[in-house]
Amino acid sequence: MRRGIRNYFVFLKRCACVAFVGDWRYYAWIGLLAVICLLGLNAWCRQFAHGLIVTGMSDEVSWGVYIANFTFLVGVAAAAVMMVIPVYIYKNEDLHDLVIFGELLAVAAILMCLAFVTVDLGRPDRFWHLIPGIGQFNFPKSMLSWDVIVLNGYLLLNVHICGYLLYCRYRKSKPSKWFYIPFVFIAIVWAVSIHTVTAFLYVGLGGRPFWNSSIVGPRFLASAFTAGPALIILAMQVVRRVTSSPSPATGSSAVGSAPLAPSKHRGATLEDFALLSRHLPEMASVPSESRQRVLSMAEVLEVEPGEALLRQGETEDRAFFILRGSVVVRRTEGGRFRITRTAGPGEQFGEISALNATPRTATAMAEEPSLILSLSADALRLLMRSPQVNKIVRSRMSERLLITDRALMTLRSIVQVSMLINVFLLANEVFKEFYSGNLHVVSSKYLFVGLRNHHALVPWIWTAIAFNLLAMVLLVLPVSRSLRWLNLTCVLCIVGIWIEKGMGLVVPGFIPTPLGEIMEYRPSLNETLVCFGIWAFGLLCYTIFLRMSVPILQGRLSKENESVPGPSGGAAVPAAPLAG
Amino acid sequence: MDKTPIMNPAPPENAMGRRSFLRTSAVLATGLAALAASLKPLLEMNDFPSMERFLQKYYKEMTPQDMAKVLKRIEDEVEQQYGLRPHVRDLKPLDGVEYVYCLNLTRCIGCRKCVHACVAENNESRDPEIQYIRVLRLPDGSLDIDKAEHFYAPDSVPEKGYFYMPVQCQQCKNPPCVKVCPVHATWQETDGITVIDYDWCIGCRYCEAACPYWARRFNFTKPFIPKERLNPDMAYLGNRPRRQGVMEKCHFCIQRTRVGRYPACLEVCPAGARKFGNILEPNSEVSYILRSKRVFIQLKEEMGTSPRFFYYFDV
Repeated sequence: MRRGIRNYFVFLKRCACVAFVGDWRYYAWIGLLAVICLLGLNAWCRQFAHGLIVTGMSDEVSWGVYIANFTFLVGVAAAAVMMVIPVYIYKNEDLHDLVIFGELLAVAAILMCLAFVTVDLGRPDRFWHLIPGIGQFNFPKSMLSWDVIVLNGYLLLNVHICGYLLYCRYRKSKPSKWFYIPFVFIAIVWAVSIHTVTAFLYVGLGGRPFWNSSIVGPRFLASAFTAGPALIILAMQVVRRVTSSPSPATGSSAVGSAPLAPSKHRGATLEDFALLSRHLPEMASVPSESRQRVLSMAEVLEVEPGEALLRQGETEDRAFFILRGSVVVRRTEGGRFRITRTAGPGEQFGEISALNATPRTATAMAEEPSLILSLSADALRLLMRSPQVNKIVRSRMSERLLITDRALMTLRSIVQVSMLINVFLLANEVFKEFYSGNLHVVSSKYLFVGLRNHHALVPWIWTAIAFNLLAMVLLVLPVSRSLRWLNLTCVLCIVGIWIEKGMGLVVPGFIPTPLGEIMEYRPSLNETLVCFGIWAFGLLCYTIFLRMSVPILQGRLSKENESVPGPSGGAAVPAAPLAG
Repeated sequence: MDKTPIMNPAPPENAMGRRSFLRTSAVLATGLAALAASLKPLLEMNDFPSMERFLQKYYKEMTPQDMAKVLKRIEDEVEQQYGLRPHVRDLKPLDGVEYVYCLNLTRCIGCRKCVHACVAENNESRDPEIQYIRVLRLPDGSLDIDKAEHFYAPDSVPEKGYFYMPVQCQQCKNPPCVKVCPVHATWQETDGITVIDYDWCIGCRYCEAACPYWARRFNFTKPFIPKERLNPDMAYLGNRPRRQGVMEKCHFCIQRTRVGRYPACLEVCPAGARKFGNILEPNSEVSYILRSKRVFIQLKEEMGTSPRFFYYFDV
């Protein structure tokens, strides 16, 4: 028990160390974010001292850009579930590696949400009045109390799931299903609930006809499932890029010049098999007659650092187990190569294309003098007749960090469908408002065409609609299968939806006031700085989360290399491949 | 790079140790200085909560002793700030009383005297201005609130072709503001008045968004009341001075009505348009009006809020 806690703290400490190591570009990036964060903090302190008068809000428009951002970000957080459902329910392998990144994005988004509601409070010093048991919690009557519960609950769920899976990966132990699968399913339902509850926050107000419409909830979900995955598509490409190195000069030539056929190889013996079973105890379950047959189809390679064992794109049917040393697996994507993982003794590589007879998805090179057991596909299949071996090999096959274009295309189809639904629901809302023409249409009139010479939001909402429609057309056309167009489409989706469900939803609800007065709203400079600060804070969190999780998923930061001295107090993870 | 992009050799311990120590301390010092600089506006805070105020209990959970202590503290604080010792009481609702307000739209002349009397009586902020009553000018023949003029300023009232409708908290039987408050900082008392514990409100402004009558006001900054204008006759749930960042609204002048007086807006009305009283008392003026008039208007009746504020016409 005590040992377990100690191990966990070592894990946390090493993660923390990794988060603060990088090249100058990484430092410049987190430095920039930290500066914007501090500017935001400064602006918030000014607001705390002088009151919300430093914002553009008034008794007439009493919520503004804080609550608008909050609403948008709840959607982003909820959308992480769109990655989880295909993986855990439909067993979609393409998205498997992206799930953790999606959930980490959810964590960062929820942290931003909590920050946005906190800065919106007039008396943040009285936050404890909201804590159930200590304060006075108006549950279940107030939708805001529901929001407190669902947001914090969602935060805990995601922190648990990500933390547990990463820790298991770090320890190279198989995650126990009972410790996370139930939580994954709770989180799926919960994700829908956080956004529905946030919609109900508005829908429940009978005195604000603009919000008091049952379509707001579905619209929230549709726009969330558009903007969220769109954001993940962009974020994943950033991850892919920063975890890769430009290949032309160094990478590909190094791979290219490496001899493919290792100089030294010999026949495999029972001793080699014993060595393998030491690292991979499941091998002991292979019956001895099978061992002989496997060994007859295998050979042992002695390789030097930099020697390639297999190359991306080639087709041949050999699979490998590491007996001694380590091997780095890297993929080339869009002219850059990226290390997907490093494998140590007892681990396999090359088995996917051996079993499926597909081209190699990556290049594998020794990173130190190593001893490798090379098997034919038939030999591997023979080994995998043992249920234990089959299980371990299969489970390790799915533990790869692969951000493939196919995964991005899966996300694209989610964005595609959601955007169509989103535009459809928006059209429904607009029709109902304008065709019936009753007196409640005033807020919509203000939003879309302006009211009594007030039209601050008109250019914004039409920009949003133009962006949404353009994105929808692009998503339907095959042109968005190319990453460049897909990225443009994602940006259009995100900006369009940010306007539409942020400012375009919150502000017109207040205009005109229930007594018919029109007072327009414009965020103040101070308010804007606070918003930038919170966004920078969220990005900083996400950057650090990725910084910690990528080396763990790549197998570069694990319990095995705990004792290896590294540049910063025990962090054995080098900065080079992450930083590029 | 071409051989092993993975393992950086660990640098010699000592040289690296000193250099990285210096660098780390420099980064840390800069970071702390930047943090301190960004926290600086907190020094401008005019109203830092004391520990006592920070930990103050919720109104309904205070014992009489707690309340006595809090009332004394409030009196001290007000005296310190305004140089005048107020009398702050915790007035409870009276038994067998349910207040109702009736307003005669035929009589109201739109002079806004009620607005000013309310500001003076209830210690509402003069800068920025907070007023609980908003008088709307409507063209004759229409109750469409979107046609209301809020900022009419003729040389004299009443004007031909218009009528006036003062709006303030409608003291709903089914108040949307109470339902949405996440911390129970606002509630309805047995005499029908919806009150606010100004020391419990967290300032989320959800009630302000929920109110269909735009009756609630928020202290966007520290309220300002000239010392000589302070009304020293105060109630805890009524007109004691509010702080920055909390909500307030009309409370039917609790400090007056719970000791048997009329609200300030009624007393000042030169036209006799305002009537106030106990609906549970059959002989009260409001009972008589509600019994004898044929048509009343409860603003936005379709909201189901069931206001205790009735507008009527002389026919």
